[in-house]
Amino acid sequence: MIENRPWLKMFSHFILVFGVLIIALPVWVALVGSTQPEGSFNSGSVPLWFGDHGVQNWAHVLFAEAGSTLQIPVWHLLLNSLIMALGITIGKIAISIISAYAIVFFRFPFRGAIFWVIFMTLMLPVEVRIVPTYQVIANLNMLNSYSGLILPLIASATATFLFRQCFMSIPGELVEAARIDGAGPIRFFFDILLPMSRTNIAAMFVIMFIYGWNQYLWPLIITTDDTYYTLVMSIKSMLSVPDGDIQWNYVMVTTLLAMLPPVAVVVGMQKLFVKGLVDAEK
Amino acid sequence: MTDLVLKNIGKTYPNGYQAIPSIDLVIEEGEFIVLVGPSGCGKSTLLRMVAGLETITQGDLLIKGNRVNDKEPADRDIAMVFQNYALYPHMTVRANMEYGLKNRGVPKEERQAKVTDVANMLGLDELLDRRPGQLSGGQRQRVAMGRAMVRDPKVFLFDEPLSNLDAKLRVQMRVEIRQLQRKLATTTLYVTHDQVEAMTLADRLVVLNKGKAEQIGTPMELYDKPATTFVAEFIGSPSMNLFDAMMTEEGIVLSDKTRLPMSHAHRGSVIWGIRPEHLQQSDEANADFSLQVQAVESLGAETLIHGLLEDGSGQPKPMVIRLAGPHLPEIGSYMWLIAPAKHWHLFDAVTQQRL
Ligand SMILES: Nc1ncnc2c1ncn2[C@@H]1O[C@H](COP(=O)(O)OP(=O)(O)OP(=O)(O)O)[C@@H](O)[C@H]1O
Ligand SMILES: [Mg+2]
Repeated sequence: MIENRPWLKMFSHFILVFGVLIIALPVWVALVGSTQPEGSFNSGSVPLWFGDHGVQNWAHVLFAEAGSTLQIPVWHLLLNSLIMALGITIGKIAISIISAYAIVFFRFPFRGAIFWVIFMTLMLPVEVRIVPTYQVIANLNMLNSYSGLILPLIASATATFLFRQCFMSIPGELVEAARIDGAGPIRFFFDILLPMSRTNIAAMFVIMFIYGWNQYLWPLIITTDDTYYTLVMSIKSMLSVPDGDIQWNYVMVTTLLAMLPPVAVVVGMQKLFVKGLVDAEK
Repeated sequence: MTDLVLKNIGKTYPNGYQAIPSIDLVIEEGEFIVLVGPSGCGKSTLLRMVAGLETITQGDLLIKGNRVNDKEPADRDIAMVFQNYALYPHMTVRANMEYGLKNRGVPKEERQAKVTDVANMLGLDELLDRRPGQLSGGQRQRVAMGRAMVRDPKVFLFDEPLSNLDAKLRVQMRVEIRQLQRKLATTTLYVTHDQVEAMTLADRLVVLNKGKAEQIGTPMELYDKPATTFVAEFIGSPSMNLFDAMMTEEGIVLSDKTRLPMSHAHRGSVIWGIRPEHLQQSDEANADFSLQVQAVESLGAETLIHGLLEDGSGQPKPMVIRLAGPHLPEIGSYMWLIAPAKHWHLFDAVTQQRL
């Protein structure tokens, strides 16, 4: 549909610009807020232009302490978040790619049933099974640990399903050619399957990283020691100070820092990501 | 020395479908055997059983005297070229060709030497660092062949390797495959449904029909003495004209109008056949019968004339004549034809076997 009417063009541009503004304004406020001196939000006004405390605020939050109730620097929270997000991402990809490999390329009893059981766990995200999962993690003495943060989130029906679809699109003759070329199951997996699904892996990586990074409820529940706090959950605790004296400038810095890694991952892997979602180069 | 022996080989698929009841075949070293037959007759099944990609449910398969029924494809010392080439898309041409050697633990220098040799032979030198996605169909085909050749296997298996190429390239590759095979003298099993390919490539042809070998022989044997009506129709293009007929004291009777004299004839129903290229035009006095022209296909060097001839079934049946050079008979006109007796083919009407 190609329309060439000026008012329509203007209207669509207006809609687009409006959309961009809606999304960009909070980011702008955060950016500006992060450069303000302490207390500049307290009067109820929202500053719209940069203040002069930028470097000071960022340095303080990153290296000294996050402010409000948090005594640890944000770089530590960042590190925790990164460990958790990467652990979840890599774990999810590794486990689901192996399960998909087994389901697609091996004949074993109850193969179909097992796939459907995996598929049904889609209905059981962490939020639904949070109490029993907490119980298990507590019994295993994994509260306040990286493994406790990562393990319960690591199984993924979505990723298994996607890799299954990807593997099923690999032509049977290619598998047979590899068999004739003397590639056993392990060689086939590493030499043929992994390189051929690298774009899908990249796409999964982006999606799962953001999923892991944005985890809120789970880390909130199982961490009581702030050395294991993650960035996303601690923003909330920075807001819940007893006397309502919120250090907005610090909060804004933290918020921006929490946004950066996902953005970096998306931008960095954009090309592969798009390829992995739309490409059929098999 | 016999290279490849199929003893009473049969295949029943897990769903109970019997794709191949039983086949016996002894292949000599260096022979080029073509499996040919219509779609679904079990050619690929048979080839894949030899390759080890499909289990053998009956009989024995021997390669160089060793029973290999239960061996993995990689341990059978065979190499296969697939119809869609099945190249590894993420590997360069070189890596594709090397992969099998690498998995067998061949040292790097030796691998590279072999790849270079084969690439030279196939004219792939320039393409060694490209990926399959950056090659034309014909080039991919060559790489697929190269991948099979570097391994220096005992048996080459081809499953319709040329069917994805255009007509011209197909002819070119056909000639080339034949030359390479002669040079390497590697026993070859080649599947095709194209009978020209089959005739030109084969030392011996196996015509398969519903999983059964209808006839095994050299291309000329099959052309001159087809064992069954199936082979008669399958080999030769356009295919042989076959008509229901009665054999009486007078000879072969197709209909009241068409009687072909023949000495010491037995009595009974037969199928009478003659190839389009063996029919000759003549004048009315010497003619065996006449044919009403329905359509004319001029191909320049030859002309195909389609007509109708009534046979023993009482219905007019199509007959094709192939004449050298240009001819332009009018549609609807009658042509007088001679069918020389030495070119007749007679088959039993019931068993379809050659008489
Ligand atoms: N996995 C299978 N299970 C059951 N039947 C099968 C299976 N594979 C093939 N068949 C059947 O076996 C018969 C022979 O198949 P095959 O692939 O060997 O045919 P083909 O001669 O190679 O035909 P084409 O020229 O079309 O490739 C067919 O009737 C087919 O339907
Ligand atoms: Mg086939």
